[in-house]
Amino acid sequence: MRRCTIGRAGLAAGLMALLLANAPTLLLAANACEQELRTTRSLTQQYYMILAGQTDVFYDHSGPTFVMLQRTAVDETDVGAFGIYAGERKQPVFGPVPASVYERFVSESRKPADVLLRLSLSKPQYDRALAVMQSWERRVREKALLYPDIAMDNILLVKQATEELNRCRETIVGYGLDWGLRDDISEHNVASRIPYEYFRELARLNAARHVADAH
Amino acid sequence: MATSTNTARARRAIKRRELFSNLAGIGASPASAQACTGASLIPNVALRTHDGKEVRFYEDLVKGRQVIINMMYAHCEEFCPAITTRLVEIHQALAARMGRDLFMYSITLKPQEDDPGALKAFARMHGALLPGWTFLTGDAYDIETLRFALFRHDHIKFDLDPASHTAKLRIINDAINRWVHVPPLASTMTVLQHISWADPPKSFEQQLEDNRKLQLAIDKEHELYGYRKIV
Repeated sequence: MRRCTIGRAGLAAGLMALLLANAPTLLLAANACEQELRTTRSLTQQYYMILAGQTDVFYDHSGPTFVMLQRTAVDETDVGAFGIYAGERKQPVFGPVPASVYERFVSESRKPADVLLRLSLSKPQYDRALAVMQSWERRVREKALLYPDIAMDNILLVKQATEELNRCRETIVGYGLDWGLRDDISEHNVASRIPYEYFRELARLNAARHVADAH
Repeated sequence: MATSTNTARARRAIKRRELFSNLAGIGASPASAQACTGASLIPNVALRTHDGKEVRFYEDLVKGRQVIINMMYAHCEEFCPAITTRLVEIHQALAARMGRDLFMYSITLKPQEDDPGALKAFARMHGALLPGWTFLTGDAYDIETLRFALFRHDHIKFDLDPASHTAKLRIINDAINRWVHVPPLASTMTVLQHISWADPPKSFEQQLEDNRKLQLAIDKEHELYGYRKIV
């Protein structure tokens, strides 16, 4: 893989401007459904969402849990992950996941308890999920998180990103993560563990939709 | 062997771009104990008043003041008109303080629909163009930040339902860092009592005077009803 050589800050700012200019906002979601229903799968580009989760990494027995998006074309790939990962002092950090962390998780052999669900998306689904994650990136950057507890922010992130997949039609088997009466995951787990259990349930419900290898 | 080498070469040739800024330290870690002051709890987002004036929420509207805040939207046909009517009553009861040491802010939940003109028309329709009462709109992202900061339930289901936030009044006295909330459709007296809980501390003499008046009111109720009914 070839790395760009320009400064990281410049790259980030440039990419953000590029992505913000191109990615549809959530406000356009109504039109997006019409687009999604008309969209045919591209033969040259593939879009994926990867849900990754671990347990028993942090002191409270929770672990890194993040959403990864990937667009692959013939000669280029866009990739990024967002959620909770282990920082330098093994503390949970909520934000853009460093490439080294998500690459290691996706490529290395995993423990049986680890969760990894790779779903193939349409372009509109990818764009909507990306918009959700960019909004959270802005919240982290501007220190405008919605909860004082990053575990709650991560729950909201994974819920919003995954629910975008079914916004227009049911493309995955969903789970009602809403803290309602039927939501056993929220009932039986502390907040920091909910995204992991949610991913595990989605992986179970959508085992047939799992794409083994994106390459 | 040759195949794997070719594959490796092909992978090296792929141009890769990171979707998110990968700057060290951008991530948020669990918050440590910190001073909970208005400046740290109340977002200083840019908003526009019903007169079209640009303001910063914390710096211009809340800092050092006692404020009453609710969320609404102009085309809300369920609770919002009733709540606004209640707020007009509250305003009348506290008219002497409004715009001096007490302020009211009604923030739209639907900034995409409610521009300053729409908010002003709503206020006019409900007789709410009154001193010290400002209707506010802004960017949807900023309104969301504000909604969570002021009206969050710490419950995913409720927090994702903006309409549930119309059913709460937030009262903040930033000068003494006191936060209170009350259902706006509680009785006018109950709402006024909650607002008074965030009032600036009173002098000892003032407290004695208030107690004297309260005792008179209690005695009057006993005379009228035979028991303490409202006070």
